[in-house]
Amino acid sequence: MAADDLALGLLVLACAAMRAAGLVVAGRLRPDHPFVRWAASVAIATLAAFVILAVAAPVGSLALIPWPARVAGFLAAMALFAWRRGLFLPVLGGFAVTLAVTRLL
Amino acid sequence: MMFATACREALGVPALAMAATFVAFGAAVQAAGLGWGWALASALLVYGMPGQMVLLGALGAPGGALPAVAGAVAANARFLPMAVALAPWLGGGRRRFLALPFIAVTPWAMAMRRLPGLPTEQRLSWFLGFGLTSWVVAGLATMLGYAIAPRLEIWMLAALLFVNPLYFGVILAGDAVQPLVRRAVLLGVVAAPLTFVLPTAWALLGAGVVGGTLAFLWGELGRR
Repeated sequence: MAADDLALGLLVLACAAMRAAGLVVAGRLRPDHPFVRWAASVAIATLAAFVILAVAAPVGSLALIPWPARVAGFLAAMALFAWRRGLFLPVLGGFAVTLAVTRLL
Repeated sequence: MMFATACREALGVPALAMAATFVAFGAAVQAAGLGWGWALASALLVYGMPGQMVLLGALGAPGGALPAVAGAVAANARFLPMAVALAPWLGGGRRRFLALPFIAVTPWAMAMRRLPGLPTEQRLSWFLGFGLTSWVVAGLATMLGYAIAPRLEIWMLAALLFVNPLYFGVILAGDAVQPLVRRAVLLGVVAAPLTFVLPTAWALLGAGVVGGTLAFLWGELGRR
């Protein structure tokens, strides 16, 4: 087996194990159990950290987008959400502003 | 029929956001010289973009496969708290394990919005419909990205990847009316700079654990 395939196989098994462990551990708990509330807080905080880092200090391919374009796109999405709510318009508007500012710079 | 309703819900903005990210992933796999089978298996069986990207970036680096896998596992370690938070909404029987392959950020974030408002007996059907649809979209988008990679400019790929944080940012802004979400978002943002001092592979989850635990304790103090 090639190293690429072996690495992918191991990652697949590890991800399935993490998902299964969560389902086993919490399957019999109520949604308002303290452990479940703690896990939800951790998952949401992780997602919030991911979002703010993707905008403010990304690594990898995202870093190719100039920071003014990232910030402008994110602020546009938030402004559109505050104005009209929903998902489609804010996400599409934020993406359009990101593209426009990237092309301008 | 709740399953069909969930399929339709998944085909809206969630599918667009997911497709944009997975198109970029498929193109990145093609650019790395790996086959379409590897791209599809990674998209559907790992089904967690941070880990997929970490593994793709680390393959071929000195040290062999194990360090690459360890970094990718750490990047996707949020699956564990996500599954813990989701499991009580899926019912106590063994059927909840049908949801296992579909536990990823997009279905999870939408499920945490929708499931509390649904009757207990319809929650698993909703999650399976939404999750399966999102999963199929991810696979198709990966193959599309793999096919069109040579025609995409690098800045366009980066912009497609940026749809994901935009999408999750809007979801979090909408859910921040709930005190638990508001506290976790606030302290997740405050804890984000910890990623600059923590080991790279564990940095994001470490910041999430610190921010999320502080948010949880804040909430517990408020309940007393």
